[in-house]
Amino acid sequence: MAVKTASLSLTDRIGARAVAGLMALVVGSILVFGVGLANSQALHDAAHDTRHSYGFPCH
Amino acid sequence: MIVRLLLAALAAGLIAGMAMTPAQYVKTIPLIMQAEAYENGGAGHHHGDAAASDEAAHDHGADQSMFGFGRLGDTIVANLVAGAGFALMLAAVALLLGVEFPTGTAGVTRGLLFGAAAWFCVQLAPAMSLPPAVPGFPYADLGDRQGWWVITIAASAVGLWCIAMRPEWLLKILGLAIIVAPHLWGSPVPEDLTSNIPAYIASAYAAASLATTLFFWLLLGGLLGHFLSRVDEEQTA
Repeated sequence: MAVKTASLSLTDRIGARAVAGLMALVVGSILVFGVGLANSQALHDAAHDTRHSYGFPCH
Repeated sequence: MIVRLLLAALAAGLIAGMAMTPAQYVKTIPLIMQAEAYENGGAGHHHGDAAASDEAAHDHGADQSMFGFGRLGDTIVANLVAGAGFALMLAAVALLLGVEFPTGTAGVTRGLLFGAAAWFCVQLAPAMSLPPAVPGFPYADLGDRQGWWVITIAASAVGLWCIAMRPEWLLKILGLAIIVAPHLWGSPVPEDLTSNIPAYIASAYAAASLATTLFFWLLLGGLLGHFLSRVDEEQTA
């Protein structure tokens, strides 16, 4: 690894990982909340079997 | 590189989410449908005051479909969204903790371990005090259970991080205490535990839920490790 020339510097790579990580955390939380926890009847009905199968608290 | 990292997570999540629907149709959904038959057949059955109003308007998605795909279609979509969401959150934890995935089998192995850790936090730990439930189970208040569930997953993740990724012995002991704490505090338990659902279905369901989600998280972790290692490889090559 160290011998190869990086196309991005190490700090850029760490920065990109942090930004990607934060974005993934926000988007992922919204998706999981929508599928598993949101209190909307339509969402509940559509995700019903998924919620039960993943053990989300349901009903 | 940011987009590549996100796409790697998304690809792993969509593949694992797609694989989850057949797994559910083999193990969990037949039991859900059996339980629903008992739930609907049981006249005069109550879920407790908090859940009773919710129950009246309750519908299992069999009659109407949000996307017009029917029950199977809805479940496929929901599993894809859940897979993508869990994958993004798992990738976020890996990226923010600075976990690197080496190329080749080492990256896949690390991903599998990561997936197993996530399964412990998201499935096994909450299930120990709040078992996965089929429809028709006696239920405590939904908000209480959701709150306890989220807190338990967060505590289990922090605790596991202390144990697995910190060298200090004091932190490892503290991590164990953090994992145990929500269970000592206690999960919301319904006042009336009677139910029309046969015990066999309920216990088979709890095992089926843990088994199918273990399959999901291992597949997701392995794929994530593989895909993220490819991103690193391309960036440093």
